[in-house]
Amino acid sequence: MRERLLDVRELEPPEPLERVLEVLDTLAPDERIRLLHRREPHLLYPILHQEGFSWRCDPTPEGEFVILIWRKN
Amino acid sequence: MIPAGLSFEQAPPISVPFRFFLTAPWFLLAAGLLLVFSGPEMMLSRHMPATLAATHLLTLGFTSMVMCGALMQMLPVVAGSPVPFPRAVAWGVHVPLTLGAAGVAAAFLADSGPLMHGAAGLAGAAFAVFIAAAAWGLARVTSHSPSAPAMGLATAALLATAALGLALGIARYGGFALPYGQLASLHPLWGLYGWTTLLVIGVAYQVVPMFQLTPNYPPLLTRWLAGTLFLLLVLRTAAEFLPLPDWLPGLGLAAGAAVFAVTTLKLQARRKRKIGDTTLLFWRIGMGLLLAACALWPAILLLPEEAGEKARLLLGVIALPGFILAVINGMLYKIVPFLAWFHLQSRYAGQVTIPNMKQFQPDKPARFQLGLYLAALALLAIAVFHPPLARAAGLLWAANALALGWNLVRAAHLYRRTAHVALEKKSD
Repeated sequence: MRERLLDVRELEPPEPLERVLEVLDTLAPDERIRLLHRREPHLLYPILHQEGFSWRCDPTPEGEFVILIWRKN
Repeated sequence: MIPAGLSFEQAPPISVPFRFFLTAPWFLLAAGLLLVFSGPEMMLSRHMPATLAATHLLTLGFTSMVMCGALMQMLPVVAGSPVPFPRAVAWGVHVPLTLGAAGVAAAFLADSGPLMHGAAGLAGAAFAVFIAAAAWGLARVTSHSPSAPAMGLATAALLATAALGLALGIARYGGFALPYGQLASLHPLWGLYGWTTLLVIGVAYQVVPMFQLTPNYPPLLTRWLAGTLFLLLVLRTAAEFLPLPDWLPGLGLAAGAAVFAVTTLKLQARRKRKIGDTTLLFWRIGMGLLLAACALWPAILLLPEEAGEKARLLLGVIALPGFILAVINGMLYKIVPFLAWFHLQSRYAGQVTIPNMKQFQPDKPARFQLGLYLAALALLAIAVFHPPLARAAGLLWAANALALGWNLVRAAHLYRRTAHVALEKKSD
């Protein structure tokens, strides 16, 4: 699966969410997003669920988060 | 790892927090108008009926009103744990809190026992619903956010504040042999320091790094501070009834709050984005005022009785209309536009052009209100020592409340108009 890296760690809310939503629109079925975030994006999850995406969130040792996002089917 | 498939209802409807945020400024206006009408007598002591009424308009009608709404919104976001039945809980908290806040203030002014008992009962009922809902959510926290434990302790402190407040209401008018003096000293301590300051600390762990792009608070601080402060509050409470020195936990509480204020100011100095905004200014002013309160609090113990009362009144001004109102006001300018944007984005993205954060809350009117706030606060602090200025200070507070209310109502109006356009397009 091809991966698209999206680093939103230096952005002020709501820019991280805006940037993810932009990329989601163009995400191919064989692609996934690797999202680097300073906080866990709880508000993103319901949108992903509604739009038919799956995700996985792993905390990093530095206290940040890596979220993988892909289309359900 | 967080599994996929969390409920879409994680974030409560926007009407849940907005009803609290849009009600609060009118209580601030009422407090300002009370100062205009009652004038210099309010500056005589903290225990004047009009001073107590204005204080409760601020604590019940403004700060608790905003904090209940904010916590219902923040629990799902920071802790991954929604409040159950958000609409019903919002009704069950907002309506009795609004009536209770107005009623308690009216009861002080009218010196009416039955009114006080009814109004305190309503405020108590509102807090009971809120505490039950918050406890339910906090017990199901799924994230490791350091905010959640501090929010839990703040909620426990609210329980203590409400219980002490009810006991005071009964003791004042009921003729029961309750230790009024001790209760009257503990109630504001638990309310201002416990419920409010602990919640500010818990919320700051989340919103300062998130919105102001600072590094995170040091883990040593987030792990220990809130719990230690809560323990010191318990010790300070025990000192009212047991032969323990009350100055020792008091000093610890002042030192702990000062550590929080200095840490926050240091983190803000290291923020990644150097452009300042109104929220940042409000928070910096709030932290400066918190430091001033921390310095004045122990100093009061050394003052003679008469000078001590003026100093206590000044401490109250620095703590409540100062520190607490400044940080809440600053936070409203981030949370209201963010929620308006977020709810439109998650519902109507692609159907309508969604205004950005700055359109919901332009900087210019927010800065104008900040100026009014600073002028009102400065004049109120001077009026403590020169009471004839009290009415002028009240006018500035009323103007400040109108400016804040106007800014928030305008953001809510833009939200409603955008949602309306999206719905019209959908139906076409």
